[in-house]
Formats: sequence, structure tokens, C-alpha cells
Amino acid sequence: MAEKHKPAPMVDEVSEFEVLEIAVRELAIEKGLFSAEDHRRWTEYMHTLGPLPAARLVAKAWLDPEFKKLAVKDGVKASLDVDIDWIGSMPTNFGTPSDYCNLRVMEDTPKLKHVVVCTLCSCYPRPILGQSPEWYRTPNYRRRIVRWPRQVLSEFGLQLPEDVEIRVVDSNQKSRFIVLPVRPEGTEGWTEDQLAEIVTRDCLIGVAVPKPGQTSNDPRPVHPAKNPYKH
Amino acid sequence: MTERNRQKPAKDAPYPDLITNERFRECMRTPHDVGGEDDVPMQWEEKEEEVWEHNTFVTCEVLAWRGVWNAEERRRRQNVDLGNSNYLAIPYYGRWLLTAARILVDKQHVTLTELIEKMDEVKKRYE
Repeated sequence: MAEKHKPAPMVDEVSEFEVLEIAVRELAIEKGLFSAEDHRRWTEYMHTLGPLPAARLVAKAWLDPEFKKLAVKDGVKASLDVDIDWIGSMPTNFGTPSDYCNLRVMEDTPKLKHVVVCTLCSCYPRPILGQSPEWYRTPNYRRRIVRWPRQVLSEFGLQLPEDVEIRVVDSNQKSRFIVLPVRPEGTEGWTEDQLAEIVTRDCLIGVAVPKPGQTSNDPRPVHPAKNPYKH
Repeated sequence: MTERNRQKPAKDAPYPDLITNERFRECMRTPHDVGGEDDVPMQWEEKEEEVWEHNTFVTCEVLAWRGVWNAEERRRRQNVDLGNSNYLAIPYYGRWLLTAARILVDKQHVTLTELIEKMDEVKKRYE
């Protein structure tokens, strides 16, 4: 290259996916199928999502037996107590098109562990848990967790005794699941905020259990994006 | 190695008498129905999201919000209609994106020519 000091370009080559994404979005806007404002509002809504509301729901259920009953009976109604409105949420005011209004909260016991998958695609309770992790979307996880759940959980670092039954719940377009884990020992007298901190995303999917002192998912490699989205 | 990759008939496009009912039922299974298939352990990783992946998700949701399609139609197109090879070959949001492009053309909101010309125009911005 003649200009030796020219900074390296952001991308070596624009990918077909990047080109097609821009083309589809711009054409849809030009044709009036949706507006740029619609797209911007949805992006802003996405920024509000994450696992914290589901973690708060679990913490509340640990502290309040009546709320736990409600959560297990009617997850959508219980979600209102953590400020998640599945039915009337912005920006559509009719919920999100891809996440229907049926959340089921699966209660673990010392002898029963739940873990969530969506074998047919990657259904996930986005309104209360945010975007799914990439591993949850992989064909590998979807193939194996329903057949060798004990082994797959051990690969996530969760070794369960043989006398603990594992129940895999398979999501579908109408029903979404989160796990209500057993409250760990060593959390007596904790506040709701303290408890919510140890209920990580992985605990809510069911591939981990809450531990005092652990407030994030187990570390694992991160595959970098070429042009990462800044949240 | 998945179930559907086994028991290949002796030739491509086999004669009718060369395909068993079991093999036929296997062929009819949709590509996204992977639960219970064989596979070997892999390294579980997190992944950063590309800008186009984020935008694709938003575009698909907004297309549904504004009534261009619904989630069932989107799922059928991106999980079934792509076919087995592309289902496994293309990134997760790549399948969403192809499906969004096809819905615009299939429902005659844009012509294939308009889509191709727009893609050429976008590519030129990067030259």
C-alpha cells in the first residue's frame, strides 16, 4: 500500500450479511413497511432488557412464600412485580411478536433440578431475561441436553449427585421458562438485592446454581465480533 | 454425525423401490428438529454480537410489529424452508436475515431487481 501510515480499515471486507442487512432495512423503510423511528424505538427497548428482572423475581420468591406460589402458578402475573409487563410492554403495547405471553417458573427442590432448552429453535424468555447466549442457540446444546443432561450440565461445571433428578423443559413458541433454583445456604438474612445478585443468567437457564459470592456466570471463552454491537 | 446423515440410500435421487419408509420419514423430518441427535462435547463459549446481527433481530421484530409477517411464519421460513444444508451452514441471525429478505420479495413489497440493486449500492459505500 502506498500510504503507509493510513490507519487499517475497520473491516477487511464487508460481509454479505452486513450488506444484506442494510439493504433489507433500508428497503423496508423506503417502502413504508416500518419507519426508522420504529427501528430506533425497538433498539432502545432492547437496551432495557437483561436478566436482572428474572433474578429479582427469584429473590422475591425466596423471601416471600406467597409470591413464590404466585410465580409458580402465573409467571406472567408475577413478572409485573419486577416491572415486566409481557402483555402491555412497550414499544408495541401488545407484547413482543416473538415472545408470547406465557412464562412458566420451574421450581427446583433439593432432589429435582430443572434446565431449559428450546430444541426446535432457540425460544427464550427475552422480556425478562434479555438475549439468549450463543451456546443456548447451538444445535449441539439443543441436541444433547435432552439426551445426556447430566453430562452436559457437568460440562458447564454443575456436577449433580445421582439421586438428584434432572428435568429438561423444552420451550416452544407459546411457552417460555425460567428456573427458580433452591436458595443456597449461607444467605440467611440477606436482602432482596443481595439475593438477586447471585441469581445469574446461567442459574435462570438452569446450567448453574446460585452460590454466595458468585455474582456472574462462570467464565468461559468469548468469541469476538468483527464489528461488535455496543450495548 | 446426526441421524439424518446415516442410512444414505445407495444413490442420490433414488428409485422409489430403493428408499425404505423409515428413510423417507427421516427425510421428512424438518431441519430444526435436532433434539436428541448424536453429537460430541464442544467448548461452551459466549459470543459478541455483530452490529448486523442486532439490527437483523430488530428488523424482524419490527416487521412483525407492523404486520408484514407473524412469528409463526418467520419461524417456519427460517427453521424449515431454508433446508437442511443451509440450516446448519449459516449463522443463527443469518437465517433470520435471509428470511427477512425473502419475505419482502415473496410478498411483493420489493422486486428481486430492487433488492439486488440496493445491495450493489450498499457495497459501493464500502469501496
